[in-house]
Amino acid sequence: MENQEENKVELKDRRTEIVEAYVHYVLEHGREPVSVFKFVKSLGMKEEEFYEYFTSFASIKSAVWEKIIDDTVRGMESQEVYQEYSAREKMLSFYFTLVEELKKHRSYLLSMYEGHLSFKRNVPMELKGFKEKFKAFSADVILEGKENEEIADRSFISDRYEDALWLETLFILQYWLKDTSPGFEKTDVAIEKSVSLAFDLMGKSALDSFLDLAKFIYQSK
Amino acid sequence: MSDKSENYREQEHIPTSKVQRATKFFKTGAKVGGNYVKHYAKKMVNPNLTKEDLHASNAEDIYSSLSELKGSALKVAQMMSMDKNILPRAYQDKFMMAQYSAPPLSYPLVVRTFQKSLGTTPEALFESFTKSAVNAASMGQVHQAEKEGKKYAVKIQYPGVAESVSSDLKMVRPFAYRLLNMNEKELDHYMEEVEERLLEETDYVLEVQRSEEISQACSHIPDLYFPNYYPEWSSDRIITMDWIDGKHIKEWMLTNPSQEERDRIGQALWDFYNHQIHNLKKVHADPHPGNFIIQKDGKLGIIDFGCVKVIPEDFYQGYFSLIKSDLLIKEEELDKIFFDLGFISYKDTEDEQKYFKGVFRAMISLLGRPFHSESFDFADESYFMEIFEMGDRIGNDKMFKKSRQARGSRHGLYINRTYFGIYNLLHQLGANIKTTKPEWLVK
Repeated sequence: MENQEENKVELKDRRTEIVEAYVHYVLEHGREPVSVFKFVKSLGMKEEEFYEYFTSFASIKSAVWEKIIDDTVRGMESQEVYQEYSAREKMLSFYFTLVEELKKHRSYLLSMYEGHLSFKRNVPMELKGFKEKFKAFSADVILEGKENEEIADRSFISDRYEDALWLETLFILQYWLKDTSPGFEKTDVAIEKSVSLAFDLMGKSALDSFLDLAKFIYQSK
Repeated sequence: MSDKSENYREQEHIPTSKVQRATKFFKTGAKVGGNYVKHYAKKMVNPNLTKEDLHASNAEDIYSSLSELKGSALKVAQMMSMDKNILPRAYQDKFMMAQYSAPPLSYPLVVRTFQKSLGTTPEALFESFTKSAVNAASMGQVHQAEKEGKKYAVKIQYPGVAESVSSDLKMVRPFAYRLLNMNEKELDHYMEEVEERLLEETDYVLEVQRSEEISQACSHIPDLYFPNYYPEWSSDRIITMDWIDGKHIKEWMLTNPSQEERDRIGQALWDFYNHQIHNLKKVHADPHPGNFIIQKDGKLGIIDFGCVKVIPEDFYQGYFSLIKSDLLIKEEELDKIFFDLGFISYKDTEDEQKYFKGVFRAMISLLGRPFHSESFDFADESYFMEIFEMGDRIGNDKMFKKSRQARGSRHGLYINRTYFGIYNLLHQLGANIKTTKPEWLVK
């Protein structure tokens, strides 16, 4: 039992070690290693050992993104005030914490994605895990928003809210990568304004009353 | 899928705020132009229509666009609302409203600002902290905090304000031409000064430093109260100071204070400015009513040293020589000062020189009137009407309008603004003041 536990810890360390070495390589060289073979050689590791943890470089990149969102959620939830937040504030808090986490990896992310023109049109494969975790988080927030009526429950459309928030996330990622303002203040402003818009759109609005009336007139004809 | 990309497109153009704000301004500009056309069209039909009507509809449109902007545009609106003598009366009330209407920051962004600049959260630093702002400042918002039974005011700057100062000013420009009846050259001459002050105002570290410095230097003046500042809880985006309980002048006046009380508060205000201008040569240049709080114990609390004008020595000498009463100042001396301060220049024709000398002489003798006697009653309504009338008369004079010259030193901008502010506050108070002045001016 004890032995197993130890083994697990070691397994985890080895995994983190590979991720760190990979990130380090990218930072030093400004690009990916040429091949897994060359990469593990510099690590003093056998290639087959590498495959115990990762299948390719893409899965390492994916791990970096997943670590970012895991740390974001953990950091955000550790703030006491978080539990008192409304859905809108939770979303804001998520993005603010996210850009703080991203900052720790800025050089790495820049060398990987600076030339990447549009996250929206061409979502990098390695964001898949990140996306799943984000969707799980945003689904909770949306559910909560519906419960306290911050968010209007509209048939068909409300199923797409998560997708809309994901697009917003991509927009923020891209905006942050290009942001050159001191302290990334402009990203803060972009977050504040775009979340505000998203929740205004999702909230109950004149449109709902209009649809309601239209439905009534149609039905009572 | 289509509604997704729709949604995205809308989000995409939100933060490119500069373009958006520019269009906002453009729209208003067009509207104001339209108002002029409408006005003159109406006037052909109805010659009795006054300019006041036009100003009212202009103010409406300009205000509605300014109120949607934060930061420096708001600040310019504020400034224009302060300079009552420049602005026609109808603009004033609308602009006064702008001082209280910027959309607040969300609480998570407040927390983020704390984390970024102080490395901690508001909850960790204080025992309690209001989730929403209790007050709006022009470049930020104020929260109330409590710790160990003491109340604090915490001012937080809107992110991105400092960066947008210059671009915002560029956008205000076309309005200012029209509103202030100035030509481009004249305006640029002053805009530089405004930009400098505004940039300083976004520097919270400097503000704390100046607040402490000036409060210290004025601590001997009776009936004044200055809050303590807490540099360890302040940063480039946050200022923490003591909370001041009390009433603003307008509210205080509703409690019907006695003439004696009003004179006492007014005198404290006068002494405060007199000491800064003539001894420190550094002045709190924002005598906005919100910055003065009358406390329960009858002391006048003074806050917000964001806008401080340092008065250069050569400007000081010339400018204040002008307030000598007419009898004491000689013709040649006056001429020299007018040239030095740029009121008139060698580019002017002889006629222009003569005209402007006359105008400035009249202005100076009117505005300097409080200095010409031992005491002055600021309650005197007729004095202020005289100032408005003169402003209107000169502003509408053809000779004045067609001049392409920038007139007056840029340093005068904030000093004038300060004096107008003080006069206004003293008028609100209806105070009778011993108008002390430096020794060298009386001789």
